[in-house]
Amino acid sequence: MSLLSNTSALLGKELRTEVRSRELLTTTVVFILIVIVLFSITLHPTTSESQRLGPGLLWVAFLFAASLMLQPCFLREQTNDTLSALRLSVSDPFAIFFAKMAANTLFLLLTELLMLPFFAGFFNVRVLPVLPQLVLVLFLGSLGIAVPGTAFSAISSQARMRELMLPLLLLPLLTPILIASTEVTAALLEPEPALRLAGLGILVAFDVVFLTALWLFGEYLLEE
Amino acid sequence: MKTIAGAFALFLLIAVTAYLAFFYAPIERTMGPIQKIFYLHLPSAFSSFIALGICFYANLMYVFKRQPKWDWLGVSAAEVGLAFITVVLVTGPIWAHPVWGIWWTWDARLTLTFVLWLLYISYLLLRSMLEEPDKRALFSALFGIFAFLDVPLVYFSIRWWRGQHPTPVIMGGPGSGLEPRMRVAYLLVWGAFTGLLVLLVNARFKLEAMRADLEELQREVEVR
Amino acid sequence: MKNFDSILAAYLAGWAIFFLYYVSVSKRMNTLRQEIERLKNSLSRSK
Repeated sequence: MSLLSNTSALLGKELRTEVRSRELLTTTVVFILIVIVLFSITLHPTTSESQRLGPGLLWVAFLFAASLMLQPCFLREQTNDTLSALRLSVSDPFAIFFAKMAANTLFLLLTELLMLPFFAGFFNVRVLPVLPQLVLVLFLGSLGIAVPGTAFSAISSQARMRELMLPLLLLPLLTPILIASTEVTAALLEPEPALRLAGLGILVAFDVVFLTALWLFGEYLLEE
Repeated sequence: MKTIAGAFALFLLIAVTAYLAFFYAPIERTMGPIQKIFYLHLPSAFSSFIALGICFYANLMYVFKRQPKWDWLGVSAAEVGLAFITVVLVTGPIWAHPVWGIWWTWDARLTLTFVLWLLYISYLLLRSMLEEPDKRALFSALFGIFAFLDVPLVYFSIRWWRGQHPTPVIMGGPGSGLEPRMRVAYLLVWGAFTGLLVLLVNARFKLEAMRADLEELQREVEVR
Repeated sequence: MKNFDSILAAYLAGWAIFFLYYVSVSKRMNTLRQEIERLKNSLSRSK
């Protein structure tokens, strides 16, 4: 199917661009660490408070980091107008979005996985017993962040004050992701871990709704 | 002059609803007269939902038909909707403080209303940051569509979240225990508020149409 | 009346928001109307 082959070709390009520079991944990880340190200093939680506040703090840090990390996504296509070239190279414009979304999801997921050991250490929680379930939540959450995030990156790259517009557009919209991810993560990290299916349901619903919306409307975002 | 007629209609609406709220409807037993804020607070909330729906419809129509009038309707409905939600967020705490002793709490309804307010504002801010009219119309319409699709997800996720961490609900369900005269007063006031919605959207729509006329004229002048 | 000042504050604030919004829209309409008249006149003069 041409969509799939177009997408995988573009996805390869996105990943290769990142691997060559590696800046996005490292700066994002450092940023999340900074956010966690700042919150921990001002709130100075006790150990039990850490375990209660940890998941929320982590996901808020992920959201902030994502709204920074998603900026270059379409901005870098503006130098040398590579976006026009991309549009010409594919038969289905959705492939451009799909590839960028997939790349962003992977980057976010990778960043979050790299954060897990720090998280376990700083907040005194046990992540290893629930690692598969945690990865599932991280994946669904990252997908939820990346799908509208990529779309809004396309929108804000053409607006004034774009660095502020992307978080402004994205963060209120991501309320369901923040709520559901935090609750499910918190439940997994309790002394008796539990998997909150309702929360996962919300994450899945969000991902499906926005993937569909992007599939239906994505091409308009790429219009000249 | 049409605007004076509009202002007169506005005064009439205020007078009618004030009469219904203060003289027709009886005084509520537990809270006393302060409950009468309800006749301003709740119809505003409902009208803001209607405005949201109109905005969504206009956004869809613009994306598929690309006629400027849909863009005008979209921004008009969004601005007026924002006015209504602001009234909800202002009258709510004024009502809450004497009765329950707090200005605000993060219960389900308040949190949802605040997130909705933020989404409306993001929509309008995005428009102010996009200068080219066609792009502004298209991108804000797309954002509006995404935001509207998000609303049920926000609603369910917040309700689930508060279900996990219950807090006292400071306002009981709106229809609970309404005496007949209260119900009549409420329905009539709600009708009046729908009229207010139409009045305001209509005025704002005309303003937007006029702005388009002006831009057209300015282009004509430049050509000479 | 109990809590009268709160009732008054709420109704004043609420209706003020609607009224101020309407007034701002009307003012902008008048400014635009004048500007349109001005441009129309200058166009018809230069014809």
